[in-house]
Amino acid sequence: MSTKPKSRWANTEEDAELEAKLKREKEEKRRKKAEKAQKLEDEERRRKAAATAAAAAATQQANGANNNLNDDDNDNDPSRPSKRRKLTPEPASSSSSTAAPTKLLRFDPPSSSSLAPSRSVDHYDKLNDIEEGTYGFVARATELATGRVVAIKRLKLEPGDPNGLPVTGLREIQILKRCRHRNVVKLEEVVVGNDVGKPDNSIFLVLEFVEHDLKSILDDMPEPFLSSEVKRLLLQLASGVAYLHDNYILHRDLKTSNLLLNNRGLLKIADFGMARYVGEPAPKLTQLVVTLWYRSPELLLGTRSYGAAVDMWSVGCIFGELIAREPLLQGSNEADQISKIFELCGFPTEESWPSFRRLPNARSLRLPKQSPLATGSVIRAKFPNLTTAGASLLNALLALDPDKRPSAKEMLEHEYFRQDPKPKPESLFPTFPSKAGQERRRRHEPDAPVRGQAVALGDVDFSGIFQGRNKEEKGAGFTLRMV
Amino acid sequence: MYPASMYLYGLPLRSYNGVNGEKIATALAAMSHFANPLATPSQLYQRASASSLPQDLHEAIFVATQCLTQAAGRLLQLPQSVTAQANVLLARYWVVDSPMAHEFSDVSAATIYLVSKLGPIPRSPRDVSNVYAYLASSNSALFSTDEPPKNDPRAYYQSEADYYAFQQRMLSLEARILQSLSFDTHVALPHPLAITYLQTLDFLSQPRTTVSLRVIQYLNTSLLSPQMLYVTHQPHALATAAIYNAARDLGAKMPEHEWWEVFDVDREELGFLVVAMRSVEGWMQKLKDEIPTFGSEMLKRGMIEDELKKRGLPVDGGDKAAVDEEDEVMRMMDSR
Repeated sequence: MSTKPKSRWANTEEDAELEAKLKREKEEKRRKKAEKAQKLEDEERRRKAAATAAAAAATQQANGANNNLNDDDNDNDPSRPSKRRKLTPEPASSSSSTAAPTKLLRFDPPSSSSLAPSRSVDHYDKLNDIEEGTYGFVARATELATGRVVAIKRLKLEPGDPNGLPVTGLREIQILKRCRHRNVVKLEEVVVGNDVGKPDNSIFLVLEFVEHDLKSILDDMPEPFLSSEVKRLLLQLASGVAYLHDNYILHRDLKTSNLLLNNRGLLKIADFGMARYVGEPAPKLTQLVVTLWYRSPELLLGTRSYGAAVDMWSVGCIFGELIAREPLLQGSNEADQISKIFELCGFPTEESWPSFRRLPNARSLRLPKQSPLATGSVIRAKFPNLTTAGASLLNALLALDPDKRPSAKEMLEHEYFRQDPKPKPESLFPTFPSKAGQERRRRHEPDAPVRGQAVALGDVDFSGIFQGRNKEEKGAGFTLRMV
Repeated sequence: MYPASMYLYGLPLRSYNGVNGEKIATALAAMSHFANPLATPSQLYQRASASSLPQDLHEAIFVATQCLTQAAGRLLQLPQSVTAQANVLLARYWVVDSPMAHEFSDVSAATIYLVSKLGPIPRSPRDVSNVYAYLASSNSALFSTDEPPKNDPRAYYQSEADYYAFQQRMLSLEARILQSLSFDTHVALPHPLAITYLQTLDFLSQPRTTVSLRVIQYLNTSLLSPQMLYVTHQPHALATAAIYNAARDLGAKMPEHEWWEVFDVDREELGFLVVAMRSVEGWMQKLKDEIPTFGSEMLKRGMIEDELKKRGLPVDGGDKAAVDEEDEVMRMMDSR
């Protein structure tokens, strides 16, 4: 990527360079003109080529016919038709022969998916850095030919990786290429660095540029979102998630910093570095997913099979965060996270989560003798301003038992969104000063887990838990002990 | 007649009539899952005319390498759905890049490694390396020689240096293939579509397994066709043509009128595909007759180059040869 910013207020030292650039641009223009002419020519050639191809096909057919089974009924032989010959006899007294030809439905692949090499990153000019994520760097850039502003994400490559290109990055590309939804960030193209042929050549994802991320808005806004705004944001989030789940995609890292919001109130789900397809046959899934604060209890307890419900838990956490303006469950490590969850949602019981005892890490939990007081959820009390319907939705999303959480589609139909105040239309959303436009985004939250990290609760730092034990006993009336 | 495929894709006909514009837009977007990027006529023309490789050698390379990929898929215990995707990716890559740019077996290994990595059943570079070393060895069961293969592990033993060199070549090809295809690894296979079509046709009133098997056999055989059917035709057309062929083989009675139009295939396209699918076997026979070594040992780039020299033809691209020489030196240094 060319790192020199294209300055509009060039200094005198840069004049020479600017001149060179102008010259290059002029040449670029001239080249484009030539290209246009070339295209016309190509069109002509293609037509000729098609004719040649057709002729070739005819010869091939003739070739192929030699090897075919002999058919008694020559009139009805499909294996050696001349070019225009009908393959099956028309019914003799057919009236359909006079009818207009049937209009066939064609599903042309999107124009973007033709067999062509990736373009070079030189078609873009970097403007400024936005942030560094777990799986790559993001910068704001402009396409030289059109002036369009985009976000460019550079995939982190490990040059010596014995497994080649990182599978997470390839999955992100694979998934984003197939996704087309207004609430999912759009991948425009994938461009590469200039070391073509080298295995460690840089790979860049060109994404549509969205002004804000929800996390920095929440951090900076003086007043919390109105409940009509919260509803619209949640509806958009749920409809994006429903689209992903419909297409057998788990996002596995939903959090406010991965939700983008543009100045027209449109929310977009971004960062698919953790996402993957889950179809048939069900692949082996890693438990090392989702940023700690948004991670569901079944993942923390080490489940070997999970599904769309892990995303719905994260949606619940985001719901709470939109209201409270700070992350709902800020655990310092896995053990602390699960104790925070139980504090908020109550302890799991055989009724509320029948299978939880069988999860691998559940054995290391020591829960207090069943007292009815501690098993209830305190969500209602924690969000006194939420309506009954709102609290019931939040409660449902933060159900400990994954099977009890609503699907994204069910969430869209929830009573909460039909009650007053109605969801605010996107066009009436306030605008926010853009952070991404100028500065780096601030990050003060745990990162998404990195592959290969330890997963068991038993591997976390014990001292922290024992130090916090007294407090925990007071707060939630239970102890969490590793055995 | 209504294109019945709207029903097949589970869409209400109402939306097809244009009552609901947005619905049809999303439906069509969803249907892009059933479509593949195809080679344009100009790409095919370029490929045929710009390359110094004669048509028959092109075909030999294509068929041999696709067979090799299939064999490797079997040994790696990958399902056919994965191996077939590797076949298609390989065909696409050779539309964009010349087959002579890299060793054929390396390209085959890179595609199968890449597809398995992205799918549910990843295979390690070590596994892939072992399988290709075995297939290339004199022990290989892939190539029928007169004497039965003696199982001699020394023939396919790989030293650490061999493995490292193979892995380096495979991984750099992985990156190259991805860049050449602008990272579009989506492959829509016609196999599931064909079964769905058969269901709507009530399995042609034949035993289900018999007719399904024959259809799938046609589809799998077409993967090997040097006409590169999977990069020139969409899956629904391939599925329909395979059903047509199976119906004829089994003597099944088909509707009198143009039933293929229900599956959005026109007569001409169907006719072409029907013949193309039936001709693969003869093609293989012809190759075996013309190239004596075909099918008895692994086809290597060096053999093609020798053949070109024998015919007095220029060996592909001076530029590429220079790069390859460099690679060769690197490889020699690596293996030391």
